Amino acid sequence: MELFINRIFDGLSNGATYALLAMALVMIFKATTLINFAQGEFAMFGGFIVMVLVLEQGLPVWVGVILGMLLSAVLAAGIERTLIRPFDPSDHLPLVIITLGLFLAINAIAGIVWRFDPRAFPEMFPSGNAFTWGNASLSWYTVFTLVTIAVTAGLLTLLLNKTKTGLAFRAVSSNLESSELVGIKVGPTLQFGWAIAAAVGTLGVAVFVASPVRQLEPQVMVTGLIFAVSAAALGGLDSLGGAIVGGLAIGLVQSILVPYLGIPSELSLFAAVVVLMLVLLFKPAGLFGTAAVERV
Amino acid sequence: MAAPRLVFQAGTPRYRMYRIFGFTMLALLIILVAFAFNDTGSITLFDNDYKLSLTRVTKSISFMVAILGLQVVAGYTGQLSLGQGFFFGMGAYVSAWLVADHGWPWFLTLAVVIPACFLVGLLFGLPALRIKGLYLALVTLGLAAVFPSLILLDVLEPYTGGAAGKQVDSDLLPPSWVPLDGIVNALHSLPLVGGYFGEGEGLSNREEQRVWTFFLMVVLALVCFKMVNNLIKSRPGRAMRAVRDNETSAAVNGMSLSYHKAMSFGVASALGGVGGMIYVAELGIASQGDFTQLISILFIVGLVVGGVGTLSGAVIGGLVIAFIPDWASSTRSLPGIPERWLQGPTGGLILGILLIVLTFVLPGGIIAGVRQIRAKFIRVVPQRPASFGDATATTIDHPVTATV
Amino acid sequence: MSDKNDIVLDVKDLRGGYGAIQVLHGLDFHVGDGEVVVILGANGAGKTTTLRAISGMIARTGSITLRGEKIGTSKAPDIVRKGVAHVPQGRGTLPELSVEDNLLVGAYIRKDNEVQSDMEQWYDVYPVLRDRKDQRAGSLSGGEQQMLAVARALMSRPSLLLLDEPSLGLAPIIVAELFERFAMINKETGTTMLVVEQNAQLALGIADRGYVLESGTIFTEGPADQLINDDAIRKAYLGV
Repeated sequence: MELFINRIFDGLSNGATYALLAMALVMIFKATTLINFAQGEFAMFGGFIVMVLVLEQGLPVWVGVILGMLLSAVLAAGIERTLIRPFDPSDHLPLVIITLGLFLAINAIAGIVWRFDPRAFPEMFPSGNAFTWGNASLSWYTVFTLVTIAVTAGLLTLLLNKTKTGLAFRAVSSNLESSELVGIKVGPTLQFGWAIAAAVGTLGVAVFVASPVRQLEPQVMVTGLIFAVSAAALGGLDSLGGAIVGGLAIGLVQSILVPYLGIPSELSLFAAVVVLMLVLLFKPAGLFGTAAVERV
Repeated sequence: MAAPRLVFQAGTPRYRMYRIFGFTMLALLIILVAFAFNDTGSITLFDNDYKLSLTRVTKSISFMVAILGLQVVAGYTGQLSLGQGFFFGMGAYVSAWLVADHGWPWFLTLAVVIPACFLVGLLFGLPALRIKGLYLALVTLGLAAVFPSLILLDVLEPYTGGAAGKQVDSDLLPPSWVPLDGIVNALHSLPLVGGYFGEGEGLSNREEQRVWTFFLMVVLALVCFKMVNNLIKSRPGRAMRAVRDNETSAAVNGMSLSYHKAMSFGVASALGGVGGMIYVAELGIASQGDFTQLISILFIVGLVVGGVGTLSGAVIGGLVIAFIPDWASSTRSLPGIPERWLQGPTGGLILGILLIVLTFVLPGGIIAGVRQIRAKFIRVVPQRPASFGDATATTIDHPVTATV
Repeated sequence: MSDKNDIVLDVKDLRGGYGAIQVLHGLDFHVGDGEVVVILGANGAGKTTTLRAISGMIARTGSITLRGEKIGTSKAPDIVRKGVAHVPQGRGTLPELSVEDNLLVGAYIRKDNEVQSDMEQWYDVYPVLRDRKDQRAGSLSGGEQQMLAVARALMSRPSLLLLDEPSLGLAPIIVAELFERFAMINKETGTTMLVVEQNAQLALGIADRGYVLESGTIFTEGPADQLINDDAIRKAYLGV
């Protein structure tokens, strides 16, 4: 029983990372119906920026995290302006190819600059346990990762619903032409979306590797992206709330179903992919997505 | 000022001579490559050693066939598969297992690989392609990611060799009547370039095998390309391209869109499997580290760099992804660049940047550039139809139908 | 005091279309301050394209001046900022956003603090919008969405309102109310309107002048009451 509880907590804290990365994917998908296949690499790169700021420049952890998020937002905004905006937003093929190119290039740059040996990441949260009962323990890490998603979700909601830029973003996500007809400049609005997505993704990686059992290295998000994609699809590709639910669910699937169904842990990725396939088969709009799914 | 142009009219004897000339040159090139690249030479630039390796050329052929599969699905559905590596790996392991554990001849394994990959492709393609959007990309992304862990499953270890990989002795020996020794010695005696063709002592067993494997795989690849070409020109093929161009009208015309799209993905997967068989026949070992998400993405790079929707683009793409990563890692020093920068995954960086740059500059891939240049010198005029009086039927040069 | 002789929109030799397909072949027309001008024509004549050319949604050539300022090469968001509001064909509602958000979006370019009071005014004019202000705009009926679209366009306090086939897909009673409302808005606020319509009778009923478009060129023009009584127009467009 206590093992089960521990597993739930593990699943939730893993799920938090998937949720954050999934939220990043959803931000871009909402605005452009494009899946940014380089999202994981943006996030990983942002994580390295944070590591450099904290471990090499000596900044306090949370200052480094916020600054890292800002810097990755700026980089993403630059990428959107130069590599994405020149293309017709409704033509997916060139854009997908650009994101794949970014995937390769960013992964390679990280490998060249920082090599492939795993590095310790600064601790973001107090270590140790918040509660213990018998063999079950709730670590501060788990508590704070969940708090982080809650705060992020809250801030994003405020941003989208109470600010003018947020309104513009929601308008562009809804109907591009009508948005132009009320004077919204679509390019900068999308750029805003890319920037926020990058920042949230960076936070996701930071949270992920801040765990005492994990380390940062360039390949960290290559499979992480798959979990995030499954989470986003499960929740509904255009629903931020869905991304959170989906992320936590995938995390739980990974930590609960996998051991209890006797599936070897290498297959947790497989489990996530199975979830993805099932969602696409039976409910492509996901749990909370708008069912604007056009069937052929 | 117009550059000098050679003009050929399709169907005339002069045009046929042009085509025959082209194919003969190609055949000669293939033979020369086979003997020159047989691990006897390397080119040195800036203190870096770039090996000419026939193994790598054969690897590139396996990639070409895999990319050909991607051309099929991109051409018919307009969508990208990010999981060709899954079927490539599947073909590799299935044929490795059949040859190593059951003594099958290599080419017979295709009788299993092709239907198996086709069916698995159909299984995953059908639900994914029923929905408009990037769903095929997502599903195939998942497949590619999952393949290595599937191979490592304990339950499959007897078949896959687990983490160590499945070793297979290639038994592709040339029949005794093929004068490989004779040819290489003759080439060796050529003035100036003879030095690239061995030592004048004929070929070792290993070298003979390599050359013979190369020739066989070239033939296999040519068969695949020819079949895809026929598929494109066939009635179902043209119908499917109508689907890609205007789905509403095609649906209204009574075609089952998802069925045809899924079938094209099945064909693509089968071609991926064939590529995998070629790969493992040459390399002699199937190991899961070769079949990660990376190879799937590399195939996309090859697809785009060569030119989406073209057959010869698959050839160029295969060469690019077989050689560039290897050459990039062989580059240990370049004037003006700190060595530390050259030690990382520079191949990936080059390919990533290439992908981005091409999307801006040459979205049609290298093939589009080649064609533009070629069009300055050679023009092929469509054949005059016999009985249409004044009307000249113009054949629309759809990129998918054109070969080199 | 606005002078009806001031020209708000002056268009000369307007050409444009969609890539290879050119739809407009040299249009000349103008809209005076405070006027309601109607563009009539059959399907495919180029009416919608004309409005899209003015608001900058498509590539076009020719001279388009708004109160003397050239907007022929401006982009859509800039044209909106110069005082043009375009209600597209099919309403262009943002279905996932609430009714209130749709109205707020309409005021996107405004920097003053009267946005809330304007919104209240529109809720007074169209009480059904106030009842549904937090509902998803996509759940409104066609007629309600049309009201929302018009209110949204007017939230930007434009000097020129472009209306693309407002009657499309709506029941006759709703349409009649809609057009009464247009006439009232024009009278009370002096907003200049350029309306594109297939329903010639209704449109001419509230218009000062009209143009008839056919295959991308202007076939005939004149004061509204003249067009209504013109036999050729009646046969071609009023089915009389």
